[in-house]
Amino acid sequence: MLLRESGAMEGRVFDPRAVTDASVASGVPFGEELVAFASASVTGSEAELAQHREALEAAMGVEAMVDAAGVAANFERMVRIADATGIPLDKPVAVFTVGLRQELGIDAFGAARNTPKVGALLAALGRLGQPLARRLMARYAGRS
Amino acid sequence: MVFSYSDSVYPIRADFGEAHRAYWHELARPGCWWNGAERVAIAAAVRSARDCGLCAERKQALTPNAVQGEHADAGVLPTVAVEAVHRITSDPSRLSKAWVDGLAKQGLSDAAYVETVGIVGAVVSIDSFHRNLGLPLEPLPKPEGGEPSGYRPPSAEPGEAWVPWIRPEKASGSETDLYFGMARVPHVGMAMSLVPDAVRAMGRLSEAQYIALAIVAMPGRNQPGRALERAQIELVAGRVSALNECFY
Repeated sequence: MLLRESGAMEGRVFDPRAVTDASVASGVPFGEELVAFASASVTGSEAELAQHREALEAAMGVEAMVDAAGVAANFERMVRIADATGIPLDKPVAVFTVGLRQELGIDAFGAARNTPKVGALLAALGRLGQPLARRLMARYAGRS
Repeated sequence: MVFSYSDSVYPIRADFGEAHRAYWHELARPGCWWNGAERVAIAAAVRSARDCGLCAERKQALTPNAVQGEHADAGVLPTVAVEAVHRITSDPSRLSKAWVDGLAKQGLSDAAYVETVGIVGAVVSIDSFHRNLGLPLEPLPKPEGGEPSGYRPPSAEPGEAWVPWIRPEKASGSETDLYFGMARVPHVGMAMSLVPDAVRAMGRLSEAQYIALAIVAMPGRNQPGRALERAQIELVAGRVSALNECFY
């Protein structure tokens, strides 16, 4: 959701399906190289990781590659904190992302059982309320 | 000096080294429920989990409970703690409340478990940063003496997570600083608040490796000095989370 909303705040449209399907173009600048590097960080061999590290550095520069290495590392921690403590999605996020989660297929992940199902009526209200939620987020971020 | 990234072939921002050094220093000291030697042993168990035969077999099994055996670990930790460290490290997406409750029945308290989660997460991420850059792992610190404080925040209470936590409106006294005065805190920010220092450590590491927790819920806002745009940061974060099958 933060990917999609980060784009929306700047009037750009990004395709969040790129996080679950690397063949989808995210629309994010240098998205292909970033996804390849992140993928190698989680599932790649040392050689694959080195290859994508070099490719990312060549595309974006060494500072960006180092930042990406830090973000990828940080989320190896965040996923363990979330999974080991069984936290559900925050209620507003659960309501506003029903469609997005279906699109990404992440409701099939095991930890989805920690989040109570959102009823059809609430999900419909969530879809209708997305523009308002976006405006509230923009105000919260001090950008409107 | 530990985490001396000035020797690296890459120009690594100074705040990475500062955050990693600060965590290593904290790791070696007594915590709330583990002493320094035990905390460093947890870090060592994170590293041994990577080559653990039992963890590898369980990872391949339809359900981890189908495979019994002993983890590869020669440390000072009780068996129940080794099980916790190895499972959180190697197979986090298939943890369950029943498993956490089972650890408690074997003597691992909810608070000691949360402190363990914090150490595992921090060590995994720092080691992952090194691996991502092709750097050797930093040797573990020498444990400091002293006993754990046994501090359990009085405002912690059961919530929607598997472990008690402190709600933002209850973060007072010693915990006033915990959520930067935010009225609404994402669940992941509250998840380890049964051990407040684990939340503080998470905040410091996140600020260097990702962005400050105070601006996470503000899409479009970015940490000054980053070479990546916020959307690029979230793309990497989302991809790593998805490959780990993290629903949150």
